[in-house]
Amino acid sequence: MELLEPTREAFRLLFTGDAGLWRIIMTSLVCSVTALVLIAPPSVALGFLITKVVFPGRRALVVLVQALLSFPTVVIGLVIYMLLSRQGPLGFLKLLFTPEAIIVGYMVIAFPVLVVFTLSAVQGADPRVYETARSLGANRWRAALTTLFEVRFGVMAAVVNGFGRVVSEVGCAIMVGGNIEGLTRNIPTAIALETSKGEFAQGIALGFVLIVLALGVNVALSVLQGEGGMK
Amino acid sequence: MSNPSLELRSLAKSFPQRELLRGIDLVLKAGGSYVLTGDNGCGKTTLLRIVAGLETANGGMLRFEGTAIDLDDYPEALRHKLVYVHQQPYLFQTSIAHNIAYGLRMRGVPKGRRELLVGEAIAWAGVGHLGNVLPHKLSGGEKQRVALARAKVLNPRLLLLDEPTANLDNDARRQTLALIETLRHEDVTVMIATHDREIIAMPHVQCLHLEAGRVDAL
Repeated sequence: MELLEPTREAFRLLFTGDAGLWRIIMTSLVCSVTALVLIAPPSVALGFLITKVVFPGRRALVVLVQALLSFPTVVIGLVIYMLLSRQGPLGFLKLLFTPEAIIVGYMVIAFPVLVVFTLSAVQGADPRVYETARSLGANRWRAALTTLFEVRFGVMAAVVNGFGRVVSEVGCAIMVGGNIEGLTRNIPTAIALETSKGEFAQGIALGFVLIVLALGVNVALSVLQGEGGMK
Repeated sequence: MSNPSLELRSLAKSFPQRELLRGIDLVLKAGGSYVLTGDNGCGKTTLLRIVAGLETANGGMLRFEGTAIDLDDYPEALRHKLVYVHQQPYLFQTSIAHNIAYGLRMRGVPKGRRELLVGEAIAWAGVGHLGNVLPHKLSGGEKQRVALARAKVLNPRLLLLDEPTANLDNDARRQTLALIETLRHEDVTVMIATHDREIIAMPHVQCLHLEAGRVDAL
């Protein structure tokens, strides 16, 4: 297989601002970021509550959320497809094969990652954090926010991992998005399609973007952590 | 120094397989300084934590400045009147000034007033030279002094200090003792759980001893 020429062509596509390629990249970014913005607050809150509040079924909920982590994304895509299809209970929303459907799928995929990582971060927090905040006059809500702030690097890691999971996800995005050019085609679905057609240049270019994104968010996390992340 | 600040009647606390507090009866006069002594594990910390609303009691009555407190539904307003300082205080991972300002922010103190009070508290604790050093780089004594400043700045009615000089080297212990000594001039009731003979020997403090789940005045 000739690698040099497709790679050269990939970089030409990237750096000449090929409209089709950049639309795919933007679709990926918009869907991933929107999903995270929508699902991160409730997931982080749930992760905190599971750790701090004793309620019946807490253990079962933790097991369920952990199990969701290992659910194949294509199965999640299948369930959402059935829900959003014309005959499905949510068919009236007419979301199937739209970016919104991908966002819904990404939210479901990112949810357990965010909850489990937050749960782990809050569990690892010093119990004196919450008590100190309460003793200094913080109400429960403010003390919870203070605790989350103290474990902010763990919460940031949750978001970065959630982003990594959804931005590279292919099964669910193809099923509920339909891989429609100019509308729902994103980086992983485009790589899968172009590779199956033997068009490696775009696949390599998009693969390169994915790697840069993965590296970029992790470098950004590391910079944000700075000295505070190291003890 | 006449009205009761804190009144405990028949306060009890049990853990599985252990009855720790068996009916504590105690009255702290407003503005008084008290030390609570007792063997390790006798329940000194637990008693302070119950008073601070960080732990529940199994029974008994708590009255603060004449008002009966529901120990099962600890009132938020009371958290603005008393402060508990851990044996090894936790400092939030932010600047010393932010740490000291935390409780003031929770009380809605305006920024200008807050900065003034924080500056005074930093000077009182003698931690001004530490500047913006992050808490995890402070020594145990410096952390203790910041925690004391963070508590004192709130001008609490009751200050609960849990072993404030434990695990400190001599210099740090001396500096902490000097701060505790100055509290006698403040309008605050202080209760210190401690083994430190120098605190116990302070002339203005009254000694209480916790043994077999009960408190006796010495």
